Amino acid sequence: MNSSIIQILLIVLAPVLGGLIYGFERVVRARMQRRIGPPLLQPFYDFLKLMDKRKMMVHSTHAFLGILHFVSLWFALAVLIMGGDFILIIFLHLLSTALLILAGFSTRSIFSHLGANRSAISVLAYEPVLVIIAISAYMLTGSFNVSEIYANTTPVIMKMPLAFVALLVILPIKLKKSPFDISEAHQEVVGGVELEYSGIFYEAIYTAKWLDYIFCYLLVFMFGGNNWGLGLVLVALTFIYINALDNSTARVNYKQMLRFSFWVALPIAFLNLLMTMFHIL
Amino acid sequence: MSLNKFRTKSPWILHYNAGSCNGCDIEILACLAPKYDIERFGMINTGNPKQSDIMLVTGPVTKRSRERLVDIYSQMPEPKVVIACGSCGCTGGVFRGMYNCEGGIDQYIPVDVYVPGCGCRPEQIIAGVVEALAILEKKTKDMEGSVKLHNDPIEQDGQTNRREVAAVI
Repeated sequence: MNSSIIQILLIVLAPVLGGLIYGFERVVRARMQRRIGPPLLQPFYDFLKLMDKRKMMVHSTHAFLGILHFVSLWFALAVLIMGGDFILIIFLHLLSTALLILAGFSTRSIFSHLGANRSAISVLAYEPVLVIIAISAYMLTGSFNVSEIYANTTPVIMKMPLAFVALLVILPIKLKKSPFDISEAHQEVVGGVELEYSGIFYEAIYTAKWLDYIFCYLLVFMFGGNNWGLGLVLVALTFIYINALDNSTARVNYKQMLRFSFWVALPIAFLNLLMTMFHIL
Repeated sequence: MSLNKFRTKSPWILHYNAGSCNGCDIEILACLAPKYDIERFGMINTGNPKQSDIMLVTGPVTKRSRERLVDIYSQMPEPKVVIACGSCGCTGGVFRGMYNCEGGIDQYIPVDVYVPGCGCRPEQIIAGVVEALAILEKKTKDMEGSVKLHNDPIEQDGQTNRREVAAVI
């Protein structure tokens, strides 16, 4: 009962929490570059400002797909928090990305097309690894339900450490961080699919980015099993790792990203699958 | 009405070079670098007209670039302010009266703040932006109508000539 209240609170407050994480990340990134950086609540200031801007729609389907992207991502997050089916969660997340890709292709802007193209390629890079991690979790707990992983008494990271490594490799792709930020590369494609959004419709995309943070960090948190402290430590370490990586690397091109994902992340995840299958750890 | 004060807390900047010598552009980029760090005011250099509030224009408007200038200006959603950076942006500077440009951004789009100097110092740019924020806070969405093009594009030698257009408010 108590935990279900926490779950509902977490689902309702997910955008606020994600905004705080994003604001904190901007401060941390600025400090890493020896800058002062924006205030912690900066994402919310941006949010309130964008509410007041004039809405310029390209066409109604484009705006609608943007809002659907936000809604379906929130839905995926809700299923992840409630401990639903892992495969369903991956599919819902894929659906939200697919909606955004469709929105990108629905305009006539070249940058938007390029961004949508690159988003599709990044999905190709991280999706197989996630599915293999889901199958490994199934081998470990005997169920695809994430609630089984949350309830696991031995921390999952002890049982499948290689899956965690594979997740660390694909997280920058999912979060659109350097060196794998090809899908929204601001210097090349000016934000990619989010290019044509403005005003309150851009807000949906902007807030969906915060939800993505919560989604990814919950995937990391999952590796702590029922040990919440360990999960939070893992999340903090991952946060530092991702920001340090984002600040210290340059962007690779999409071929290098795909090659890295297929030759490094995928074999690691597969090795983990074999190890879990034969109960080596 | 209370939302107006949040505009001053997260002004997103669009930088457009209308034929500048890059002197002012370097100074604008220096504002973003660690020494001046304008991100502490919440400013981001977006490079996307549809999501930005402040337009920083440098350079005398050459005949090639003015059509893009008006285009980009009309793509920005209201409320918005325009800052002319550098002597060339304000008046045409040393290029005034030359055959390829007509001196000054305000001949094509309405300018709210002028930042003089060749090239304008980062401190001056920051002061200009702060000035612009006070104007941005007072503006309403209705104050500015949508931009119309002054002359219709004309067909000339088999291609569309849009060089003679200018904005009319």
